[in-house]
Amino acid sequence: MATATPDIVAGAEATPEKALAPKREFPGALVVVEGIDGSGKSTQLYLLKRWLQIGGYRIHFTEWNSSPLVKSATRRGKQRRLLTPATFSLLHAADFADRCERQILPLLHGGYLVLADRYVYTAFARDAARGCSPRWLRNLYSFAPTPDITFYFRAPLDVAVNRITAGRPKLKYYEAGMDLGISLDRAESFRIFQERILGNYDQMVETDHFVLMDGTMRVNKLQKQMRQILSERIELGQFAPKKKK
Amino acid sequence: MKRSAKNAAIAAPENGSATKRAKGSKNGHGDLASRFYGIPLPGVNIEDLSGNLIVIEGSDGSGRSTQISLITEWLESEGFAVQTMGLRRSFLVGEDIDGLLAENAVTRMTLALMYGTDFYDQLERRILPALRSGLIVLADRYIFTLIARSAVRGISRDYLHGVYEMALVPDLTFWLNVRPEVAFDREFKKANTISYWESGRDMSLSNDLFQSFVRYQSMIKREFEYLSKRHGFIELDGEGSVSEVNRVLRKRIASHLGIRGTRYSPSHALAHLWR
Repeated sequence: MATATPDIVAGAEATPEKALAPKREFPGALVVVEGIDGSGKSTQLYLLKRWLQIGGYRIHFTEWNSSPLVKSATRRGKQRRLLTPATFSLLHAADFADRCERQILPLLHGGYLVLADRYVYTAFARDAARGCSPRWLRNLYSFAPTPDITFYFRAPLDVAVNRITAGRPKLKYYEAGMDLGISLDRAESFRIFQERILGNYDQMVETDHFVLMDGTMRVNKLQKQMRQILSERIELGQFAPKKKK
Repeated sequence: MKRSAKNAAIAAPENGSATKRAKGSKNGHGDLASRFYGIPLPGVNIEDLSGNLIVIEGSDGSGRSTQISLITEWLESEGFAVQTMGLRRSFLVGEDIDGLLAENAVTRMTLALMYGTDFYDQLERRILPALRSGLIVLADRYIFTLIARSAVRGISRDYLHGVYEMALVPDLTFWLNVRPEVAFDREFKKANTISYWESGRDMSLSNDLFQSFVRYQSMIKREFEYLSKRHGFIELDGEGSVSEVNRVLRKRIASHLGIRGTRYSPSHALAHLWR
């Protein structure tokens, strides 16, 4: 069969993946938070954003899976449970591409500090837990600029899972990883799915230079630490309000 | 970009090897691992796929749709069940892409990935089930058009081949090659104008529609010349008569599927296509 002879490379899956584009050609900076659901990342990024907003800094906040162009397709796919690991992943990549090309990149070129709640590492961790090939995923998102800082909020599985299940009466189908057929019990499926994602995140700590944050620390202490790391690693002055002479 | 075995995208085939190999095996299928370009789709058992995938590529105005109608009828008359696929026909995002194309907000990468979603949704929900049932899938364009369109807009070929690494390798890929000027005449006659995307107007090539169309389609054609070598297309003269192109298609498909006779004349319903 076949018009073409595919090139199957033995062990290709085990080789280290392509790193994200290292080249920087813009004056802005990109700070992202990552971690499993319930790790505290969104709360911490919110507090960081408020701190910078109140200070009058030039910032932009962007959230995973929020592009209006792709929204209706994602909603339809999820409601009717049409998504496979491949289409789930591609649809989120399209969403990211839209935000990347219309918000993140123009703002980085325009000298903004861009804050992202979840970034490509979410796709790497979660879609790989769904069975997508890590190499395929790395290529899919290779157009994404590398963050200046990736804060990885890590909380033990039980802590994170309890935070989510206590606040949410019903977990959504894909959120709980029900499409994987791990378990018919949503809570059980969610837990196993999150465990796999956590494992995938942990593997990226070194390769992708994550800044490890202890998600079990008190909120205000953790925020203090986050602000300190940000100030040390990024020259915040360049995003400060311009003073009138 | 350097290509290595580690991040091998869709690999280059040896020209002409496909047909030779196809004849050697029982149902035209070579070794099972070769049915995907690089990475197998999760959850697919390749041994279940007993059908055949036949792709017809070509620009707008190359006669693709006409040939697909005729080939469908011929195959059905020979007792083969046919399933078709094409761009923007997925239930998941087909209409969403139509919506994006109607506006000018969408950027090249988003569009490329929406087309990718559209492709894989059809692959998983339409093509694979059909192939499991032993059907002949006729694809009115395939990943090659998608790769070419994005490549001329500056997205790297390696990137694009990587996105489609989990695509199924077709049994046969025909390319109906026509000159852009001829395609222009044919397309213009259909609608008395030329569409925004067909003429690549998003690329700001020319304010004149004819110039824009010809330049854009020439760029696409160059990508196809490259893809044809890389993937071993069967190139046909799309400027030949409908019946002549159809005769060649039937001959190649018949030999692949083991059909003995290739006699065919269109039914009354399709007779108007036979010119």
